Amino acid sequence: MDIGPIWRAMMKNKAGFILIALQIAVTMTIMVNAFAIMQERANNAARPSGLDEANTFALVSALFTEYEREDKKSMIDEDLALIRGLPGVKNAVATNSYPLRQGGWSMGLQLEPGNQSTDSVGSAIYFVDEHGVDTFASNIIDGKNFAPNQVAWTIEDDDTWPAHGIITEALGKDLFPDEEGSYVGKTFYVNDNDPVNVVGVIEKLQAPWPGWSGVEKSMIVPQRRVSDFQRYVVRAEPGYRDALMPQIEELLTNSNKDRLIRDMTIMEDVRERAYLDDAALIKILTFIVGMLTVITGLGIVGLASFNVSRRTRQIGIRRALGATKPAIVQYFMVENFLISSIGVVVGGILSVALNIAMVEAFALEPLAWYVIPLAMLALWTVGQAAVAGPAKRASNITPAIATRSS
Amino acid sequence: MLKMKKVSKTYRTDTVETHALREFSLTVDEGEFVSVTGPSGSGKTTFLNIAGMLEELTSGTYELDGRDISKLNDKERSAVRNQKIGFIFQSFNLIPELDIFDNVDVPLRYRGFNANERKRRIEKCLDMVGLTSRMKHHPAQLSGGQQQRVAIARALAGEPRFLLADEPTGNLDTHMAESVLDLLTEINESGTTIIMVTHELTLADRAKRNIFVLDGQVSDAAPEVHFAAVASA
Amino acid sequence: MFRYYLKLSLLSIRANPALSALMVAAIAIGIGACMSIITVRHVMSDNPLAHKNDVLYHVRLDNWNPDNPYDEPNEPPEQVTYLDSTALHQAGRAFRQTISFKSDRVVQPEGEDVKPFQEEIRATTADFFTMFDVPFEFGSAWDAAADQTEERVVVLSSEMNQRLFGSEDSVGRSVTMNKEIYRVVGVLAEWMPVPKVYDLNNNPYEKPENIYTPFSIAVAGEWGSSGNNSCWKPTGGGYEAYLASECIWIQMWVELKSASEKGAYLQFLDDYVEEQKKLGRFPRELNNRLDTPAEWLVYQEVVDDMVGVLLSLSVLFLVVCLLNTIGLLLAKVMRRSNDISLRRALGASKSALFAQYITEAGIIGIAGGLAGIGMTWLGLRGIENAFSGYDFIAYLVTMDWTMVLVAVALAIVSALGAALYPTWRACSVSPASTLRIQ
Repeated sequence: MDIGPIWRAMMKNKAGFILIALQIAVTMTIMVNAFAIMQERANNAARPSGLDEANTFALVSALFTEYEREDKKSMIDEDLALIRGLPGVKNAVATNSYPLRQGGWSMGLQLEPGNQSTDSVGSAIYFVDEHGVDTFASNIIDGKNFAPNQVAWTIEDDDTWPAHGIITEALGKDLFPDEEGSYVGKTFYVNDNDPVNVVGVIEKLQAPWPGWSGVEKSMIVPQRRVSDFQRYVVRAEPGYRDALMPQIEELLTNSNKDRLIRDMTIMEDVRERAYLDDAALIKILTFIVGMLTVITGLGIVGLASFNVSRRTRQIGIRRALGATKPAIVQYFMVENFLISSIGVVVGGILSVALNIAMVEAFALEPLAWYVIPLAMLALWTVGQAAVAGPAKRASNITPAIATRSS
Repeated sequence: MLKMKKVSKTYRTDTVETHALREFSLTVDEGEFVSVTGPSGSGKTTFLNIAGMLEELTSGTYELDGRDISKLNDKERSAVRNQKIGFIFQSFNLIPELDIFDNVDVPLRYRGFNANERKRRIEKCLDMVGLTSRMKHHPAQLSGGQQQRVAIARALAGEPRFLLADEPTGNLDTHMAESVLDLLTEINESGTTIIMVTHELTLADRAKRNIFVLDGQVSDAAPEVHFAAVASA
Repeated sequence: MFRYYLKLSLLSIRANPALSALMVAAIAIGIGACMSIITVRHVMSDNPLAHKNDVLYHVRLDNWNPDNPYDEPNEPPEQVTYLDSTALHQAGRAFRQTISFKSDRVVQPEGEDVKPFQEEIRATTADFFTMFDVPFEFGSAWDAAADQTEERVVVLSSEMNQRLFGSEDSVGRSVTMNKEIYRVVGVLAEWMPVPKVYDLNNNPYEKPENIYTPFSIAVAGEWGSSGNNSCWKPTGGGYEAYLASECIWIQMWVELKSASEKGAYLQFLDDYVEEQKKLGRFPRELNNRLDTPAEWLVYQEVVDDMVGVLLSLSVLFLVVCLLNTIGLLLAKVMRRSNDISLRRALGASKSALFAQYITEAGIIGIAGGLAGIGMTWLGLRGIENAFSGYDFIAYLVTMDWTMVLVAVALAIVSALGAALYPTWRACSVSPASTLRIQ
């Protein structure tokens, strides 16, 4: 098929074709960027937290009566003993927070003691006892768990930090960037001067804030804190979680009337709340892309029909001069392919330009390279599919038109 | 009233030059009934477009009532067309969405008359063509002959200097054609100048003066006499 | 002439119902997509305290680490310490001042079978309510004296009053929290400032707290903050040490008589900090700030970036819809070329035809705008559905009259813009083309 005449004929009457090409270009820009965003968000929301999410849940015990310090400790000990003794409970721990909760503690860690916090590394903090590692399903890849004698209650009016800690691998990399070997046995400082010795390294435990750039950096601290609000995290054996939740709530409520049991929540719901924005954005963008495909598809069908109808006489003449029906169809398919090609090339440029602008303005991730050729393919297909109908109708135009004078 | 002096029309593209109308001069006086005949492709249509100011001349001057109208801008040309010329087309060209009253109204709207003046003129012209009773009907509800008469009423409503008719009976059967021609004759007898373009010689007979167009050349002489001159051109 | 063009436009639209409907639909859908996002953004970036924007100020003092600013490039912390907030509040130099933080208590409603529940409380001072124009249904806030005497009083939100007392006038009744008894002195009317300007530290769009108690009670009871808390050096442990520390956890606002007093109050803050420097505090350079609600909202970057992303994409979506509209208009103009060249032959100038077709485009635009309002409503319901996990989303997806007007205006402007090229084509149709080729 000779492209030349088709191209020249197109150029004579640019308006209709520019509209189709532009529509393809802008549609592609939207689709490419929407897809890139959706992919980024989906990846974001799929990151594992480190917990055994399917089997883990948390609850809050809120004390609302004045208790002596020792009585608070007893209450916590009794609660944990009760929970851990239940069949179906793999392990449980009292802690201040857990991954994806969107609230918690963070501290700056330093390699050198003293007041200069210029080079401190931020980390999430989880206060637990020796059951913490197992409850959080953390995989110890180096060193070991806390020994029971390394775990201690806080001392009243004393905020000295415990001397031992277990860190995530990511935290280790950031804290000891030049270290080739093991982090176990190394020391860092917290609260300016309190030394912490690395007892173990775990593979993965996210911080409570999914949007934080340092979300993989966490530290487990062997400290039991005496406060009126206690969070208990429970890891169940597979299949036991749903039965355990109401059971534990009832047992704890009945065992002590001076406190309230609330916020019983499964980790799956915690994840859903944490990534609510991402899920919503994906929903909205999917809808937009869907609508866009329909509108652009129909729009191109309309414009193509319009372009064909303007050339009824010409088509009839061609047929009268011997063009076969397939030849007519092919003419329009080729013409549309040329237009789509211009459209997707311009679209590709616009997509990248928009992406760069959005990366600047809204801190988006830059586009992955393969999205553009994928979108080009998609739009070529949409364009060809849209013109197929009008092209077929064009081929049915009777050659008798050529002899009519008006 | 109407003077074309040394007028010609040439179409130019990048590669080809077409002399649609060779240089000619023509004068039409007030009250004349002129027919312009010639075979297909002779240039009649171009002549019509020039006379009706639908296209611009390539050379020469066109005077209407002593005013040179060949060099006007679009706004001025539109005004002249609106006020001085009444068009009658072969295919009537009534606007289907508008009723008869509103169709005759169209040129008056671009004149700036107030509602009362327009109404007066429309009613007068519809009465002249005998279609007052059909004022609220739409073109689709009228016969071909009636539609052409509406078109004539529209052409007259602005009290133009001359009517310019393009094959006014071309789309009508003989019976209707007769009545339209009678109407035109009547209008001419009451003083309106008419220039009628047609390829049918029988129609041309009804006019009082004949002009011929052949191969782009406009002349008063009959084609036989002119043939020899053209052959050598 | 305009009425003539109006008449012709309506006739033309009626004569091409399918084409006209498609054009209106194309515009409406594009407008719907854009205006949904614009509306959400409009609500999110609203300043509910705009009417007091020149008298209310958020106080920031730079008590932070000498080696690092709290935030780049040199921003003081977003909250103030206990020492400074109480000292400044005590000094009473502004027309009104308030210090507050949020905390948690367990409410124990009356009745044997009623379960206690945990609730967020705002510990604040009496001026809070007048400063932020908080509306009362029954009673009033406690007076300044109550701030000093540590009398156990509470103000309830309308929702809490409904929950505890069935929306009756509960002034004088008691509420038990953590086994302590509080007397109700006031009940608020419905109040939902969007965003929650007085405390933007956690979720700017969450509902205000349901219970309010005097600041002094909270401190006397050693209540911890359930909001944000940051310290740049160790406190030493225990509540007393915490109160004396450089940890920031309290929100402070002042109300001045007019904007012209800002300089004087800032001077007062500077003088106070200079005094504290002599005691060894405030190691950083003088860096105190007074931000109006508008400035504070901007600093906190309340509107999520995601809104900007969606806005960009929805504008492009509108462009696609307008390209469709241009195509449809072009098709219509081509179909009407006989009408156009006839009118030209009969004496209409190019500008007359331009006016005629622009009028038609304008009408399509208005129709598209009105239909677009419906589409916007649908779009907002979609957004509400996508974000249904947030209980405050309903407040962010409401259209006000400004947005309705913007929708119609945008539709008209878009339609006119889209019509420019087709209308120009319309005017360029030559009058000669009416005549048939013989």
